[in-house]
Amino acid sequence: LNNRTTTAESLRAAKLGAFGGHVSRMPLAIAGVAIVFVLGAVAPTQFAGDFVLRLGNEGLLLGMLALSVAFLMNQAGLVALGAASVYGGAGFLFAIAMREWDLTPMAAVCVSFFAIVVYATILGALIVRTNPLAFMMLTLAAGEMISHGVLLEGLRDLTGGADGLVVNFKGAILGMEAADFADPARFWLVAWVATWLAGLALWAVGRSRLGAILRAVRENEERMRFSGFDTYLPRLIAYVLVNMVAAIAGLLHVLNAGFVSPESLGLSISTNTLVAALMGGIAGCVGPIAGGLIFSFAQDEFGARGLTQLLTGIAIVVFIVVFPRGVVGGLWSAVRPQVRALCGRRERS
Amino acid sequence: VLALLIANSLALAALLVMLASGLALIYGLRDVINFGHGAIYMLGAYLGYTVALVGGFWLALVVVPILLAVLGIAFEYLALRPLQGRSHIEVALVTLGLGIILGQIIVFFYGGVARSVDAPQVLSGSVTVGSLSYPMYRIFLIVMGLGSCALLALWLRFTSSGLHVRAVSQDPSVARMMGINADRLSLLVTSLSAAFAGVAGVLAGPYLSIDPGMDVTMIVNCLIIVVIGGTGSIGGAIVAALLFGLVQVAGSVFVPNIATLVPYVLLMVVLLIAPRGIGRGRVLN
Repeated sequence: LNNRTTTAESLRAAKLGAFGGHVSRMPLAIAGVAIVFVLGAVAPTQFAGDFVLRLGNEGLLLGMLALSVAFLMNQAGLVALGAASVYGGAGFLFAIAMREWDLTPMAAVCVSFFAIVVYATILGALIVRTNPLAFMMLTLAAGEMISHGVLLEGLRDLTGGADGLVVNFKGAILGMEAADFADPARFWLVAWVATWLAGLALWAVGRSRLGAILRAVRENEERMRFSGFDTYLPRLIAYVLVNMVAAIAGLLHVLNAGFVSPESLGLSISTNTLVAALMGGIAGCVGPIAGGLIFSFAQDEFGARGLTQLLTGIAIVVFIVVFPRGVVGGLWSAVRPQVRALCGRRERS
Repeated sequence: VLALLIANSLALAALLVMLASGLALIYGLRDVINFGHGAIYMLGAYLGYTVALVGGFWLALVVVPILLAVLGIAFEYLALRPLQGRSHIEVALVTLGLGIILGQIIVFFYGGVARSVDAPQVLSGSVTVGSLSYPMYRIFLIVMGLGSCALLALWLRFTSSGLHVRAVSQDPSVARMMGINADRLSLLVTSLSAAFAGVAGVLAGPYLSIDPGMDVTMIVNCLIIVVIGGTGSIGGAIVAALLFGLVQVAGSVFVPNIATLVPYVLLMVVLLIAPRGIGRGRVLN
């Protein structure tokens, strides 16, 4: 009977196994994930047009941002409504570092990334000790603070006020020049790899001891404190970590677009991120990224009529009330019994 | 000058108090922060604009709160009750979504331009006390704000339903065991807080401008106040609103360049000193 299992079947099982995570099938799972990775990196650049690729790129960046929000939501039970401030903030810092301080692109990336980490650490130190609802309000307030701050008259020379900043990008980052980042096909590769790295990193953290502590604190902080765990530091680390991911998404965005505008700091970006996360499903790393891609293409489909904001609102309500697990979570729970059955049959044979 | 400063901050605080106390009331009963409160306030302002065009300012001040109280009842039945079993964060996100929907519907009907309402004839002049003259309308605003505060305090202090609200806010499970019907109270409180938002919206018309961004501005201000005041504490919210008004007005006078950031600085300072806020709100687990 064993001989009858064809290669196609085992491949399919491997791909499914990647979600289920069964130890004995680890090598197959890794192979399946690797195939998905390579296919996803190469296929769109070969078959999709520039327009679709641009949408895909936006979707990946939004997905990365959604990944950061979803991770914090899923692991720590904290909802951040200020994702845009870090996303756009990183872009602004990069643009300012390039324009005003005449840094090389690589140095500018490092400086802006570092500045975001410092900002996230200070803000996080203040706000992660509050309860989840207050945390949500405070991230919203902090986000609004940043978006107001950029528009201040006194900072107009630095931030360009409502016009935003154009990045004059000379030199190269890791061998890529401005034109390379602006090219949709090449940028797709960069964004794809970065999204995977971010996803794998957060996945690993979620499975580590830190992730376990975070989830335990989410369930009952008092109990964890009583059991002798530090509940403050893990949450702070998680907050800084997700902001790093958001900052990378923001930096990639500014490298791709070549300019940064105050809109990228706005509340609507934060709510779009939230919708992407909820749409894909916050549990796991595939959901938010898929959500970002879905959002990007859906926005192209419906946004032209000026309905994006309205639909965003509706999506938040619908996905929380009706589909709390999101598209990927819902699909997974739908196919799970079949996968189980399939695996069971294979084991028996 | 100092008197002017205080009067101005009181006028601003009057609006904020009406909104923030509504938020704090719902939070006390349901453990939910209504992120859609800003949109309700915006709806109040726009409805007030329409009604004021047709029947004058005073009619608007009566009709709009009633309409919004009905909306509050709908909100209670259609959103808060069905979602009672869900986590508070999820319900808060739903209110955020509903707020966005409501805001977009308003923008759809009224367009994106700013509107303004004229104060009624009686209130359009200014009052002169000694050497200072002060706009009549702002005095009216202060009186309305402080008046509604006082009414709220009297209601909470001296009526049985007020007592029940305080009891539930302090300890929901014990209050329920004592036979207090939290659902009925919540209906009352939700409609009341929506009506307050309506009053604030109508009053904001002649004082601030009516524009599509007002909901976000106001909800952020209110959230800051609620956090500073200690989540769920109504007294704390009142004090925080006064403090907020003072700081913002003083900021726009003394440091006009960075005035928009002053409230956030206040927030950070309070969080640094007293992360739970200045009031004695119930601590959420």
